[in-house]
Amino acid sequence: MTTQAPEASRTETTPAATASATRRSGSLAAIERLALPALLVLVVLFFTVYPASREIYATSANVSVVLGNQSVVLLVAVAILFPLVAGHFDFSAGATAIFASVVAAAGMARFDLPVVVACLLALIAGVLIGTVNGLVVSRFRMNAFVSTLGMATLLGGLIQWYTGGLAIVGISQSMTDFGSASWLGLPRVVYVVAVVLIASWYVLTHTPYGRSLYALGSNERAAVLVGIPRPRYTLIAFVTASVLASIAGIIVVARTGGANADNGMSLLFPALTAAFLGTTGFQPGRFNVLGTVVGVLFVAASVSGLTLSGAHDWVDQVFNGLALLIAVGLSSYLRRRREGATS
Amino acid sequence: MTSPTAVDSVLAVGGLRKTFGGTVALRGVDLQVGAGGVHALLGGNGSGKSTLIKCIAGVYTADAGEVRIGQHTIEAAHMTPHAARAAGLRFVHQDLGMFDDFSVAENIALGTRFPALGRVQVRWSGLHRQVRRLLDDYGIEARPQDMLGSLRGSQRTMVAIARALADQEDNEMILLLDEPTAALPEKESQELMHALRLRADRGQTIVLVDHRLGEVEQIADVATVLRDGQVSAEIDHDLRATKLAALVAEAELAEVRRPTTSPDRNAPPVLRATGLVAGGVRGVDVTVGPGEIVGLAGLAGAGRSTILRALFGQHPVQDGRIELDGRPYRPSSPRDAVACGVAYVPEERLTEGLFADLSVRENIAVTTLAGYWRWLRMDRRAEQRDAKEVVARQTVRTASVDTPIGQLSGGNQQKVMLGRWMRRNPRLMLLDEPTQGVDVRARSEIYASIRSLSASGSGVVVASTDFDELLALCDRILVLADGVVAHDLDAATTARDELVAAVMRTPSDLSPTEHP
Repeated sequence: MTTQAPEASRTETTPAATASATRRSGSLAAIERLALPALLVLVVLFFTVYPASREIYATSANVSVVLGNQSVVLLVAVAILFPLVAGHFDFSAGATAIFASVVAAAGMARFDLPVVVACLLALIAGVLIGTVNGLVVSRFRMNAFVSTLGMATLLGGLIQWYTGGLAIVGISQSMTDFGSASWLGLPRVVYVVAVVLIASWYVLTHTPYGRSLYALGSNERAAVLVGIPRPRYTLIAFVTASVLASIAGIIVVARTGGANADNGMSLLFPALTAAFLGTTGFQPGRFNVLGTVVGVLFVAASVSGLTLSGAHDWVDQVFNGLALLIAVGLSSYLRRRREGATS
Repeated sequence: MTSPTAVDSVLAVGGLRKTFGGTVALRGVDLQVGAGGVHALLGGNGSGKSTLIKCIAGVYTADAGEVRIGQHTIEAAHMTPHAARAAGLRFVHQDLGMFDDFSVAENIALGTRFPALGRVQVRWSGLHRQVRRLLDDYGIEARPQDMLGSLRGSQRTMVAIARALADQEDNEMILLLDEPTAALPEKESQELMHALRLRADRGQTIVLVDHRLGEVEQIADVATVLRDGQVSAEIDHDLRATKLAALVAEAELAEVRRPTTSPDRNAPPVLRATGLVAGGVRGVDVTVGPGEIVGLAGLAGAGRSTILRALFGQHPVQDGRIELDGRPYRPSSPRDAVACGVAYVPEERLTEGLFADLSVRENIAVTTLAGYWRWLRMDRRAEQRDAKEVVARQTVRTASVDTPIGQLSGGNQQKVMLGRWMRRNPRLMLLDEPTQGVDVRARSEIYASIRSLSASGSGVVVASTDFDELLALCDRILVLADGVVAHDLDAATTARDELVAAVMRTPSDLSPTEHP
């Protein structure tokens, strides 16, 4: 009997203690999940009342401009999410977007191809780039950090060679019309991006494929040992990334009426920042679409506010750099904590 | 309990308390460690022994209590790793913190200090001389310039111990070891225990956290048993493994020997592998009947793990014939094997089993992801329900199924690893060291669930270095040596000594590797 007494009292007290602990950590966790969107709201509120920026900041015109400009970054950010979830960087996504924009613009302006064919060519370019990226990582087991950086450099070089550093202009009218049209007060491209975002969210959270990517990203060897086909799934993740980046490139053409000779880094870094910032919200410690969207908006709202307040050009870069550093730091801390590596 | 005024204690802990969030890990622990001798610290999963060690080490900050080392008393809340070291405590953790591709001397110098010539240049001759003296003192058969990776596991641990104690003059340091034998095969843990006993006889104070009660019985002078964050017993004489086990589990241990439910030997076998050649495995026959548990014993490198990996499509099979339920079976990948109803729990839980940052639910659902895809979405509710069922059936102790699995204790993690395959009702279950680093209570629970699987007609293959485990769990034990089956033993009629002799007598660790 003496051995049973503590046994009984333990089974009574433990669930209660655990429940109260769960409740307490539950509210803490809720604060943590919503810290990033709350910060976004604070930034927006601040610049709405801040004297130097309040006249323009919250106007529908500014919101429309910001969202239109960010739609491209948002697409690139969601694109790199797929390899990131599977545990790989894709530094070539920015260059892929620009490359696709050059293909689409050149198709229309230099070869007089119909809009649909030109855009299709841009998408095919994306599939090819993604296939190379994916095969290099999944079959030849190269480190994606290095191989995609190589791909980015290669694409940047090809863009330079083909354009000679000049913008390609003279694309078809229907394309620019689409890019500049609004619908319910927002640029039409925003809706295109929204559809892609929802599709990506669905794939990552509500399909066995998406869930397998998270498993691969968490522990590749363990994922193989539970029967997840690593090479194929990794390849698909890279192809998805490049195709989404190509869509971003097509949107660039539609919005700017051409293609600029650029290496794409100005797209890549805000996208990386947003993806890592996104891991601090909603599902702390893991890459997720909703967090990434808030991450992009947070950076955009801050930069727009700073610009309207009369900050210098360099502030943009400094802000982006700091945000990336903090985001990566927080992201890896949160992940380590989930793994139980911190006390 | 011994009176707190005991004068000869060199390490005393009083009223140590520690909570994590709402969970009380230590509820006022008192511990007295006398000078010279081995003091064992025992307890089940979550009993608080790891937390206690980490509080003493200053890795965790305790909420209340004090630690007295010699004449120094330190508030436990103010303990830091630096203060612990300064006070003369030396820790050797399970992960030794050493580098296999560095030499013994370099490893020791990294832990202590490189003797320098001037400001930067390392004085190698001096270092080697120093290290040679240290190695002699600890009876380690190695030269300073040997690569650490070339040493046996027990010798590597001894190097870590020697390094930790390198700066003591006369056994004044206190050595705290956290499960030093968890990853060692039986023969080497014997060696290590022997070496530790020698140190203790020479006056070294050693605190030993251990799961293997047989070892504690052998070398400990005093044993303290923790349970639910409190000291539940302290014994300083007549340390018997069975008595200790009872104190740790505080419930009668599951019968040590397997109940002899002899499987039907005439039924067609689940697995029949003949002439299996893969890597170091050179022609092995394995037959597993329905409801049969077959053990694979053998020294390191005998091919235990290779056989399991080959059967799971994770290691190329060069030759041989494998049949699963009478049909030819030659898996090209783990995915293939899983589709055929084979499951595998690898030895390396951390690197090959766990998705540490994912929740318990996700770790369980990962084996049947496609099954949850209903009406174009993942059926979270079904996942949740199934995960709860696994947690309940395997008695996994976790706050909820949404807790990241990395935050669970090793035994509970292992139960999830097993449970996620059990759920699929595999035809053939392959287990590599299923209870490594798992305490007594969790171990008997794991045995029970393996038995219930085999009772349902599945075949089970268990590779293990733990002889007691093989004898307790298996119907038959195949002893491997040099990639072939040296003995096929009936576990019910084999005595422990016979099994040990069968494994040890095989000359595998002496024979030179042949050249093809």
